[in-house]
Amino acid sequence: MVSISMKNVTKSFGGNEVLKGVTFEAHDGEIFGMLGPSGAGKTTIINIFTKQIAADAGEWHVSVPSNEIGLMLEHDGLFVNLSALDNLIVFEEIYGLARTLTLEIMEQVGLTQAAKTKVNDLSKGMRQRLVLARALLHKPKILFLDEPTSALDPVTARGIYGLIRDLREAGSTIFLTTHNMEEATHLCDRIVMLHQGRIIEEGPPKEICEKHNALKTTQDLESVFIKLTGGGLQ
Amino acid sequence: MNATKAIFKKQLKATGANPESLIQFIIFPLLAWALGAMIDTDTMVADFAALPLPYYLIDTLIQEMQSSMPNMVTMQATIFAGMGLIPVVAAIIADDIERKSLRFLSMAGVKPVAYLLGAGSVVLLLAFFSSMGFTLVDRFFGRDMLIFMGAMLSAVVGSIVLGATLGIVCRNVQAASGLSMPIAMVLGFGPIFAQLNDRVARIFNPFYTQQLNVIADYLNLGTSANPLWHSFAIMWANIAVLVVLFTLVYRKKGIVQ
Repeated sequence: MVSISMKNVTKSFGGNEVLKGVTFEAHDGEIFGMLGPSGAGKTTIINIFTKQIAADAGEWHVSVPSNEIGLMLEHDGLFVNLSALDNLIVFEEIYGLARTLTLEIMEQVGLTQAAKTKVNDLSKGMRQRLVLARALLHKPKILFLDEPTSALDPVTARGIYGLIRDLREAGSTIFLTTHNMEEATHLCDRIVMLHQGRIIEEGPPKEICEKHNALKTTQDLESVFIKLTGGGLQ
Repeated sequence: MNATKAIFKKQLKATGANPESLIQFIIFPLLAWALGAMIDTDTMVADFAALPLPYYLIDTLIQEMQSSMPNMVTMQATIFAGMGLIPVVAAIIADDIERKSLRFLSMAGVKPVAYLLGAGSVVLLLAFFSSMGFTLVDRFFGRDMLIFMGAMLSAVVGSIVLGATLGIVCRNVQAASGLSMPIAMVLGFGPIFAQLNDRVARIFNPFYTQQLNVIADYLNLGTSANPLWHSFAIMWANIAVLVVLFTLVYRKKGIVQ
């Protein structure tokens, strides 16, 4: 079943065309990666799906209502004067969840020790884990992750990959934007490569690497991207 | 209901984490008491009486002074409800928009009305205690107390909705302070000047802060140009207009940056 899709979507900001006829679809129970450098239009696509902005043209579809979507964005939107736990309690009460679930998710992201610490006093990595906990709290059907591990150390990032895979096993769709090719290679079932508002490649990471002779000892999506665009990722 | 309760608790905790913000709710009743205690009308009457003027003129001056002397509770309550609260609410909303918190609440299914009720109820609760403080300072009891509290809380609701609208328009705390403060000053101080000038009073008559002033004056002096329900009707009409304005602004600008 198609979980989210876009067909010929275009979007401009002040004359600058950010998306130029973007078409793709992601399916239930899939980790779908969107790769591209900063400014490629990845966040704009999330904003369109989450109804924060409207596209200028084209069709787009999300199969679930907004309260069944989990979000982890560049701007974390945390209540900085509240503790980590209190931040989650706000959403626990909105969704009508049990406290045990909140405590469980805090443990899963490794924040139990910092539960009573004010958000203002958390490190960047801890804040990011808290944002992920908030996104996962209500076991969303679709999860949008915008650069989810950009500020994390490798060990924490791996823990987060585990949580994302668990959610996929439970049938959720994960839409992930990243410019970390290794992350996309190891985590995503399928990817699209976005460059200057256009999709330039699409498919499972391994197939893409095979197609472009980039299967070295490991799949090398970065060299595929450089080959296709003539430039690297910032 | 879940959402309103969650936002209410969140706002209460956030306010508790910033105890400095509570000073607004204490200082105005305290000022009303202090200023009221400082003004010694007996001495002023004696000073007038000592002036080398004809007796009838002195009598007129004393009467004029006593009738135009603003009641400190009326004055501070109007400034509190009009000027104090609008920037507070505008800042709360603008802060949540600026930090993108409202985006996550909105995605979680929190409707703007639920958010406004949750965040606004905290301000209303705190303002309720401030209003009780005013009633104690002015010694309003029984029916007078109920009328005063009704007028105060109606004005507070008006300021909450107006503050929320300004918060949405501004979208960041700095701009919210910049825009809400002059509007709040006009609404807070306008009725004070209206006590001294009939033309100003006519200009401010359609505003809820002026009607709060009229009701508080009625409770102190026992007379009013219009019946009480007239003032309450104007206040509630103000609230209805402000709710419509809030809805329009929300629909046009949304709560997401």
